[in-house]
Amino acid sequence: MPATFDEQRRSRVRIVDILLAILVTVGILAYILDVLALRWGLSTAYIGRSYPNYLKAAWISLYVTTIAYFIGMGIGFVLGWARSVRTLPLARVMAARRREAVAAADGGSPGAGLFLGTLLVYGIKYYVRRTADAYVAIIRGTPLFVQIVFVWSAVLVFYPRLDPLVQGLLAGVIALTANTGGYQSEIFRAGIQTVHSGQVEAGRAIGLSRWGAMRYIVLPQAVRLVIPPLTNEYIGLLKASSLLAVVGSVPELTTFGRSEAFQTFHIFEAFALVVGIYLLITVPVSKVVEWIERRYRIPGLGIQAPRTARV
Amino acid sequence: MIRVEELEKHFGALHVLKGVSLEVQKGEVLVIIGPSGSGKSTLLRCINLLIEPDSGRVFLDGTQVNRRDIRPEWVRQQVGMVFQSFNLFAHLTALQNVTLGPIRVLGTDPTTAGAQGRKLLARVGLADKADAYPAQLSGGQQQRVAIARALAMNPKAMLFDEPTSALDPEYIREVLDAMAALARDGMTMIVVTHEMGFASEVAKRILFMDAGRIIEEGSPEEIFHSPKQERTRMFVGKILR
Repeated sequence: MPATFDEQRRSRVRIVDILLAILVTVGILAYILDVLALRWGLSTAYIGRSYPNYLKAAWISLYVTTIAYFIGMGIGFVLGWARSVRTLPLARVMAARRREAVAAADGGSPGAGLFLGTLLVYGIKYYVRRTADAYVAIIRGTPLFVQIVFVWSAVLVFYPRLDPLVQGLLAGVIALTANTGGYQSEIFRAGIQTVHSGQVEAGRAIGLSRWGAMRYIVLPQAVRLVIPPLTNEYIGLLKASSLLAVVGSVPELTTFGRSEAFQTFHIFEAFALVVGIYLLITVPVSKVVEWIERRYRIPGLGIQAPRTARV
Repeated sequence: MIRVEELEKHFGALHVLKGVSLEVQKGEVLVIIGPSGSGKSTLLRCINLLIEPDSGRVFLDGTQVNRRDIRPEWVRQQVGMVFQSFNLFAHLTALQNVTLGPIRVLGTDPTTAGAQGRKLLARVGLADKADAYPAQLSGGQQQRVAIARALAMNPKAMLFDEPTSALDPEYIREVLDAMAALARDGMTMIVVTHEMGFASEVAKRILFMDAGRIIEEGSPEEIFHSPKQERTRMFVGKILR
């Protein structure tokens, strides 16, 4: 197919764009290298020698983050759903049931089992909701740093005999999971509540159960809506995993970089590597998610193809 | 087919249904008219138990269905519903919208459900739109997919909640035609609508509702041209003009 004049022009413009971008990036990198290597005496030999150890440390960060993220996703979904459910104070529900039972009493006496069932269903719903609210308030209302130290000290007290590495990993995963669970619940709540209530109603109208409507109608739409904030949360959590440095016994990227820096005195090299590797993970992650987003995009639903400025 | 006795419904302090009773025979089309806020939509939703009535009884084929030992999902499978705002599942194609219920609720295997779904889409004149997403369809097309979606569950009766009120005028006809065809095929239907032409043509009986009560019942001729109640006269006067 012959390219139109417009397309040719656009592709030329794109090439110029890319060339410019490369030029600028190379320039900045060269400048940084100049500052670091020549003026501060950055040892490229050290970097070349020890970067595999940093990558190993990065794997630990990545493992801890990913495990916490996906367990936290389960917690987040359940809490988010619980927090999006409308509940009524128990007293009101019971009063309504009593009215109803009296009205129906001419057809037979209302069983005590009926009341018990109602109490159970609405009671569980109500208290699950309140518990979820409290959980999110606690997680959001306290610093992650404090949460990590708190869980860590609890682990030290209850399992004093464990290997320090295991203690640290346990504390880290628990604290990060609990934390991301709270934040992800808000993401899921937003997603679930954004799906129009008519969608659920239509699902229920063809006979789907509450869970069925969630599984086949709300979730597929909500997940598409919350992919960007969920990605954000993953990247944020990876960066937050550096707070495990306070534990000291888990050789994740920041901990490792810090100990290298102060043991070998290659301070700038160490932190340059740490920074570089964090970027090396976070940037591709956002790119992959962007691809997933495009792949599962549905016309008219949620985030549409971004409008790019045409030159 | 459908019988409702003494339905009562409160939303908080709001008394929406004040003892509504009605009956629809098999194959009959009943039209309900009335000002907004009169409880028409709530009434429809109480019939398929999307809303649980405070008191009163709903019968389907002679069986009371608003009982605690009957799952409301089971009732909804047998009574299809079409909404004012279509409510097509936004993440599914037209065909997937139609087949979701049969596959996930009735357990029909996907191939059979797909074939049935295509037939239903053809029946509402949308055979070529099977793979389009709701956002790619016009309002009239979306509403016809919604009708096919409800029919896919093979319901005993259909409820229509102002199916043409959200449509641009140019698309109203095609939806009404699909509904009229359904009525000719002998479907039992309860339709909330202000389309007087459709009501006169298809319905034998019309109910006028106001403030949670049925005010008047009669043939289209009676309700539109010689209403007995003052309130009916006022309402009909407003919509006919």
